[in-house]
Amino acid sequence: MAKRGTPSGLIGTTVFQNLAVSEMAALGATGLPLIVIQHPLGGEKPEGVSRRALQAVEQLASLLGRA
Amino acid sequence: MPDPGSVFRELQLPEEDVYTEFVKRDWCDGLPIVPPTPERVRAMVAAGGEDPARVLGLMPPLWREASVEKLAVNAVMSGCEPACFPVVLAAVTAMLEPAFNLYGVQATTHPVAPLVIVSGPVARVVGMHAGAGLFGPGFRANATIGRAIRLILMNVGGGWPGRHDMATQGSPAKFSYAIAEREDVTPWPPLSVRLGFEPGQSVVTVFAGEAPHNVNDHVSTTAAGILNNVSDVAATLGSNVGWYMAQSQLLVVLGPEHAQTIAADGFSAADVQRFVFEHARLPLGRLKLGGMWGMHDWPLWMQKVTDEQALLPMVPAPEDVYVMVAGGPGKHSCVVPNCTFSRAVSRAVEMRS
Repeated sequence: MAKRGTPSGLIGTTVFQNLAVSEMAALGATGLPLIVIQHPLGGEKPEGVSRRALQAVEQLASLLGRA
Repeated sequence: MPDPGSVFRELQLPEEDVYTEFVKRDWCDGLPIVPPTPERVRAMVAAGGEDPARVLGLMPPLWREASVEKLAVNAVMSGCEPACFPVVLAAVTAMLEPAFNLYGVQATTHPVAPLVIVSGPVARVVGMHAGAGLFGPGFRANATIGRAIRLILMNVGGGWPGRHDMATQGSPAKFSYAIAEREDVTPWPPLSVRLGFEPGQSVVTVFAGEAPHNVNDHVSTTAAGILNNVSDVAATLGSNVGWYMAQSQLLVVLGPEHAQTIAADGFSAADVQRFVFEHARLPLGRLKLGGMWGMHDWPLWMQKVTDEQALLPMVPAPEDVYVMVAGGPGKHSCVVPNCTFSRAVSRAVEMRS
């Protein structure tokens, strides 16, 4: 998708950040932006999920602004 | 000697220091290893009858080349006898099939390990143990084949605990997880034959499972009695099975005495599958108490159920209940739930004379 010009990124929680970086490196996708939200996501109450959604939206807006 | 995917490193160390050095480099599972000298690796490769440079595929999560030579290095380290190497090769080939989803199995937070089930003559040839205590210690082929798989997953795939293997708590099954069937006492055709292989063919099945869950039944004298217990163990709120329905599978390993009681009631293996499919269920109202309620992935008909008392299945079809016979004397069996994002894969073992 990124190669076709669609702004693209990978979204994950903080504790999975290292795995995501390794995975992107292994697959030759090091240029992809990483959208990181606070861990955990599972078991969160709606307000916690909303906070994480906001974190993602802010980073996504920044990503789109750069595109 | 090394294939293009390998980096050959020569360590001039006294043999007694090799383990310490490998631990420092994160090249082993914490237990002592057999130093992989070039001679030992060559002998292992030769037993597989393969070109050492042949790459079976890319192994996740770091997508490194799984060459025969690299697999042989890890098989030596595990203590495998060369005769076992064809089993290791078949298991790795099976794990690299897309249906097995090795990336998910390696990187998940779930305590899953690939269980290697060996069927057919190769089990006897390499000394696989299918009797008393088969899941536990004491049997070189079981221990070292299972350990070779784990070392390969760590050293070739890069699945290191807390780094790329994200299992929250892990599992003792991640050290070694390899068994065989009691083909001498099973009242039904072996698992491999029921999966479509020829009688007498050597087969490896990899099943991405949790550690075994005990089924204790000292009193039942009927198939229904024992299988009610099996079904109860198989249907628990905290299991992954049932939430991601499309790839949920259960492995039922019946102890020989339980199997004989069930067969004496006229049950075929297909009847066992059908019974467990119909009885390993939880009511909708109970499923709403936790687990993965709200994150579940069910077929449309299940999503539309409104009756809180309706009993919903753990697996999509009777065929997703794998049944085999193994163990020694006693009134215990076990259930191995899968991780629900992987399907069991079977491959023939290429035996070398």
